[in-house]
Amino acid sequence: MLLYSILFPIISILAILWFFYRYLKEKQSLATVILWTILWLFVIVFSIFPSYSERFAKLFGITRGLDFIIIVVFVVLFYIMFRLYNRLDILQDEVNKMVKEVALSNEITLDDEEEE
Amino acid sequence: MSFEVSKEDKKSTYVILPAYNEATRIQPVLESIAEKGYNMIVVNDGSSDNTLDVIKQTKQKYPDQIHIFSLIINRGVGVATQTGFDAVFQFDAKYVVSMDSDGQHSADDLDNVIKPLVSGEAQAVIGVRPLKDMPMSRNFANAVMNLLTRIFYRVNVSDSQTGFRAITIDALRKIDINARGYLISSEFIREVNDNNIPFAEVPIKTIYTPETQAKGTNVKEAFKILIQMIKHQF
Repeated sequence: MLLYSILFPIISILAILWFFYRYLKEKQSLATVILWTILWLFVIVFSIFPSYSERFAKLFGITRGLDFIIIVVFVVLFYIMFRLYNRLDILQDEVNKMVKEVALSNEITLDDEEEE
Repeated sequence: MSFEVSKEDKKSTYVILPAYNEATRIQPVLESIAEKGYNMIVVNDGSSDNTLDVIKQTKQKYPDQIHIFSLIINRGVGVATQTGFDAVFQFDAKYVVSMDSDGQHSADDLDNVIKPLVSGEAQAVIGVRPLKDMPMSRNFANAVMNLLTRIFYRVNVSDSQTGFRAITIDALRKIDINARGYLISSEFIREVNDNNIPFAEVPIKTIYTPETQAKGTNVKEAFKILIQMIKHQF
């Protein structure tokens, strides 16, 4: 047995447990946990039985199993990047709103200076 | 027919000046505007130098004409201008102008820019920089941004990236500005156009120095503007 077929399942199990822990702490939605669990289960299956990846690859018209895995990883990474970008965008808007409101309700007068 | 802007019109005009690290340049700008009899809303955009102190010092000289608001962190020219646009409703304003605080715009142009608003000829004005005054690199960048504004916002203007603009308070109520950075220039034009606000272009002087050239729409900013324009389509 190769090292990765032991290491990857361990990492995957830890990841699944981590997602469930976050779900129990109400930090993650059930849908997200299920999606990630499916993904990590695939990692477990492919690392123990690498030949299975070829069957999936053929389903999508891809010849090599490894190519299929790399494409899936790319898709997942791009999705994560998109989600992060969106989240960042929302946060930026919220910060802007807050900074603006603080500024608008605190016009700086010369009296402020005298108080200092 | 020559139309003059009266003292009262000037008193009801508020000039918004977003300022980020302009400590060495802002004082003469504020003084020249104050001397002309206009009111100002200066928004310090989280400057890391002593811009705010310089603004406060100038306010001591013109306490009734300068109003200061300060963003606690730097959020970009778009947010600073938005803050000014929101702040203006706290005052008795009829006309609102926004211009750069780095000295590239001249206070001498203020009268010309608000004239179409006062005479009722237009409700929004953009100050157009003459192409011949613009450095080659700026000229090219501006042509690209004009084209993008035309493609994405369907408005054809001769200077889409100008920071010198004016609008009546009633028209300002109708528009919705959300841009964070330099996109604000194109967004202002889009909002004016979408809300069918009659607008005019007025030629303005631009004073280019190495310092003022370092700011404004560079390639990185242009790319950011393009991304935001695409995003706004959805």
